[in-house]
Amino acid sequence: MTGSVEVVYRGIFQKHLGQRITRGIVLAAWKEGKVGISFGRYGDSPERNGIPAKSFAVVADNEEELQAYLSRYEPSNNDVTVAVDDTLCKGVESWAWYGLQPINKLTRAGGTVLVTSIQTPEELLKDCHRKNAEWNLAVLKGTASFSGLWVYKEDHTDVRVLGAIAKVAPHVVKIESVEAAIRGEWGDELKVGSARKAYERVEIRTVRPEEGNPEKPYEFQLPKWWEMKEALVIPGIPVRQEVRGWDGGYRPGRNPTFKKFATRTMRPVVDFEICTKCTICWLQCPDSCFDVTPTGHYDANMEACCGCGVCEAVCPVKDCITMVNERAFEDNASQFEAYQKDEAAYKAWLREKIQDKVVTSRSHGFRYRGQYQEELAQMAAEGEGPGGS
Amino acid sequence: MMMTTALTVLPTQDLQPFKGVKKVRIEEYFTSGHRTCQGCESALVMKLMAKAAGPRTIILGSTGCMYVANTTYYSTSWVVPWMHTQLGASGSAAVGTAAGLKVLMRKQRIKEEPINVIAFCGDGGGADMGLSSISAALTYPEYNFLILMYDNESYANTDIQLSSMTPYGANTTFSPPGKARRILHKRWKKNVACMLAAGHPECRYVATVDASYPLEMMNRVRKALSIGGPTFIHSLDPCPKGWDYDPMQSHELGELAVETGVWPLFEVENGILKFYGKSKAIAQGRKRKPVREYLLRQGRFAHFTEEDLDYFQKKIDGMWERWLLPGIAPFRLADDIKKALAKSEAELEATS
Amino acid sequence: MSVATTEAPVPATAADKEMLISGCAAIAQALRLADLDVVTAYPIRPYDTVMQAVAKLIANGELDAEYIVASSEHDQFEIVKHASAVGARVFCGSSGVGWMYAMEAIAVTPALRLPMLALVGNRALDDPGAFGCEHNDALCVRDLGWMLTWVDHAQEALDTALIAYRVAEDPRIFLPCAIGADGAFLTHSEALVKVPSKEKVDRFLPKYNRRDKQLHPDNPITVAPQVNEDWVMEIRKQNDEAMRRARGVIQEAYADFHRIFGRQGGNPFVEEYMTDDADVILFGQGTLSMPVKVGVRKLREQGHKVGFVRLKWFRPFPTPEIQDVLRRAKAVGVIDRDYSFGSPNYGAVLYNEVRSALYDLEERPRVISFICGLGGREVTLDSVTEMSEILLKTAQTGRVEQPTYWIGVRG
Repeated sequence: MTGSVEVVYRGIFQKHLGQRITRGIVLAAWKEGKVGISFGRYGDSPERNGIPAKSFAVVADNEEELQAYLSRYEPSNNDVTVAVDDTLCKGVESWAWYGLQPINKLTRAGGTVLVTSIQTPEELLKDCHRKNAEWNLAVLKGTASFSGLWVYKEDHTDVRVLGAIAKVAPHVVKIESVEAAIRGEWGDELKVGSARKAYERVEIRTVRPEEGNPEKPYEFQLPKWWEMKEALVIPGIPVRQEVRGWDGGYRPGRNPTFKKFATRTMRPVVDFEICTKCTICWLQCPDSCFDVTPTGHYDANMEACCGCGVCEAVCPVKDCITMVNERAFEDNASQFEAYQKDEAAYKAWLREKIQDKVVTSRSHGFRYRGQYQEELAQMAAEGEGPGGS
Repeated sequence: MMMTTALTVLPTQDLQPFKGVKKVRIEEYFTSGHRTCQGCESALVMKLMAKAAGPRTIILGSTGCMYVANTTYYSTSWVVPWMHTQLGASGSAAVGTAAGLKVLMRKQRIKEEPINVIAFCGDGGGADMGLSSISAALTYPEYNFLILMYDNESYANTDIQLSSMTPYGANTTFSPPGKARRILHKRWKKNVACMLAAGHPECRYVATVDASYPLEMMNRVRKALSIGGPTFIHSLDPCPKGWDYDPMQSHELGELAVETGVWPLFEVENGILKFYGKSKAIAQGRKRKPVREYLLRQGRFAHFTEEDLDYFQKKIDGMWERWLLPGIAPFRLADDIKKALAKSEAELEATS
Repeated sequence: MSVATTEAPVPATAADKEMLISGCAAIAQALRLADLDVVTAYPIRPYDTVMQAVAKLIANGELDAEYIVASSEHDQFEIVKHASAVGARVFCGSSGVGWMYAMEAIAVTPALRLPMLALVGNRALDDPGAFGCEHNDALCVRDLGWMLTWVDHAQEALDTALIAYRVAEDPRIFLPCAIGADGAFLTHSEALVKVPSKEKVDRFLPKYNRRDKQLHPDNPITVAPQVNEDWVMEIRKQNDEAMRRARGVIQEAYADFHRIFGRQGGNPFVEEYMTDDADVILFGQGTLSMPVKVGVRKLREQGHKVGFVRLKWFRPFPTPEIQDVLRRAKAVGVIDRDYSFGSPNYGAVLYNEVRSALYDLEERPRVISFICGLGGREVTLDSVTEMSEILLKTAQTGRVEQPTYWIGVRG
């Protein structure tokens, strides 16, 4: 019997993590005398920091069964979909194509979406789109593990996910073969222990078709060859979007088909009261995401913000711009409009967001040599990561 | 039919410097919805470059991140007209576009007006494959255009392979640190701006820029487009993906590159060489920050030992302390040339 | 789309000026008459005599164009590519390995739908360094979406250059076009050429207008973004359709050309010589037509029913004409001034194209490959006789005893 697993991850930040998981599955299946392949979705390469990407593992009893999965970009009927960052539950959009893919879209009916998260299944279901079949949501407790291209963060997320997969899909890999594979690959009993603990502690619940986010995700219809303009010509973007009542303000024209909803892992929250209108966040934003309001404020537009955090870094006013984890938000509404509607309510909302250390503490990769070791020590102290769970 | 030996050069747009961040044009001509990495400094360079140039501009982009990630087919982030050119063709694209516009205006097939032509390339397209086409382009005094090289110090779009602009020792997919060889890449970065300024007497403007100083950067683009003839700008762009750092630190790393003396900011305008920004202070003796403060913030140098850090520091020190043009040109004068120069100096004074 | 050439026929000789010029100089005259906008030069024999002629026209003020001496063939082709994108009529060219050095720029031009005109002064590919004629250089673009035509005398070179601009710049087509001219035999030998008046040319050749595909601040477009597997096939299909349309547009152009200049009547794609009752037909392209025609006449005198067909357009390949003409013969010998090592029957390029064009016929002639005249070696009368005899024998027996012959090779 053939089984496949897709791992959805944040480009570059989790590239090695994704590969380690899918390789681990194939190595484990090997221990059971099965065959398999591990591959990344070609269209995601070259990966971009933060933009969703995928890695796949397919295992089968023999080469003939495997063939159905070879020479393909994206297996479409997966036993398990792994999201190694829970903000991916809002949907997946590769940098290379259009449309928002629900996290469970390529999960087979009765299959499992496995998420590493500190949120409850109910909180995650606010993001996961509805699927017209029953499916399972499994949560492996933990925060998203981000590192970079050259320095890997050994926090055992890779083996913990492997252990959890053995629990939710034993027909793909059994925990014993996962443990054997980990020994073979890393020879590290601490990692074996982490996998076993994850296997024991992963929480699973069934999701009914009527549960989940009812929103219809953005879809894109590919045109026919004769509908496309010849000579590889496409129209440029208009220099501005007209906004009613925005005299003196400016909202740039924007790419109508590629939004950054699925790219963002955090977003800037702006305190308009203390903003000095110095222009620096607006000028330094690589994504031109700030709309200039008629009052001369800068309102980060969530259609365009990719969550890099440069605005927080360059803002000269303390606590004027704070990056907050994307999971703390239900929509992409304008903060400035909310501020105009009710300043007091906005202020309260703002305080609640930026004072929650859980959603404002983060690591988006390498900041200085020795940082990961410090973070691992911290995690161990909190009973998370290596050895913990 | 014109029968003359005089050069016919079209007028350029008069792009005065923006006087302060609050005077910067509000419109974007490279806008949202490109597909670069979080914190991509090169995307910022594109935005500032287009903002500085304005609406009457044509931009040619050679293969690289700013092509692949910016213009995935059927959508674009460009407001002004944009066209792809091949990896090694930024110089030729600029010449061809400028020449086409010029002849069509002369023959009254399009309205006669100054149109900015900008061709950009990455370090792979500019410093490696396209160097000869850029060098050739800078020898055509009758065409107005700017070639801007955005240098993120690797072939960042193809998976971070080293280029001739990758710093000594950096980790790339073509130079991984290994058990037998910790440092696989031992070449020292080319000094492209200096090379092009020194070798192209018809080129009136060459500058290095850093988008962490946006106003200075945009004003140099405006100068390059206004001065006339072929011009060249070399921008150093921190790359969160290839350099391996938290994207929110792009701006800070851009500043550190200048403050440590790794990236000197200078311009050569009509043959006059000037430092500007913090590099000016450094040239005048202000202490440089140690390079380790810059290198150890990047995962690509995480494998460096103290010995490697010292080697890098010494090379940077040498640039500033021993070169004839500090941080720019790796020359030192032989004694007889020193004498000759001293003599001509004296003669100059005597005659003046 | 209609072109302003529908008025009554003009007397053929009106205001034509006769000049003794080489094939390259004849093309330079066509460029002058076409009011060329941008031209890029880089030296390599034999094509570069056209650029020497262009340089003189520029220096003497007879041609008002941006004349750019480039630093490599790659620069040469990239420069005109971009000039064409902003709406300029452009010309370029090369030979042998120079053409190969520019190959990246050459390969990307068709998908951009830029109507560049290029002269390929056919030359053997190094190594060994050789100046002589061989068609493999130009044939490298046979699959890339370039239109490709071969001329065999100076007058045809001039006429074809004008026709090529008319077809390439037709908004239904917008494809680049290369003219193959045999090194030395055509590029370097001078002949009497009728050079028409500017007025006639203006009636035939409208100004290049790129319309909504023109790169200009008044038309803010993005050209040639990166694509993935969702798009490439549709884009290739668009190029396929343009090449299919080219056939009809070429026929239109020749008809108008004949009406205005009184030349280039007859079939635009192939020239038939003594084929009506021919049992065997020799087939080839370029200047080898000259000795072959002489040989055919001699064999006719001896009572052999031999004919010759010269291919004028290689892309688009005129399959209907080839079928219609060659189906009448018992045996066809395709003379290739090129090679295709390891190809079917170890034959050559043109041979395999012709053979596959004939395959769908119920009754088809035997086809033989003659590899001949490589590296500029002369195609002699003896060679023509030798090839004809092989064909006559094949026609007699109805059997192909040996599919491929190297004609004129020592040993």
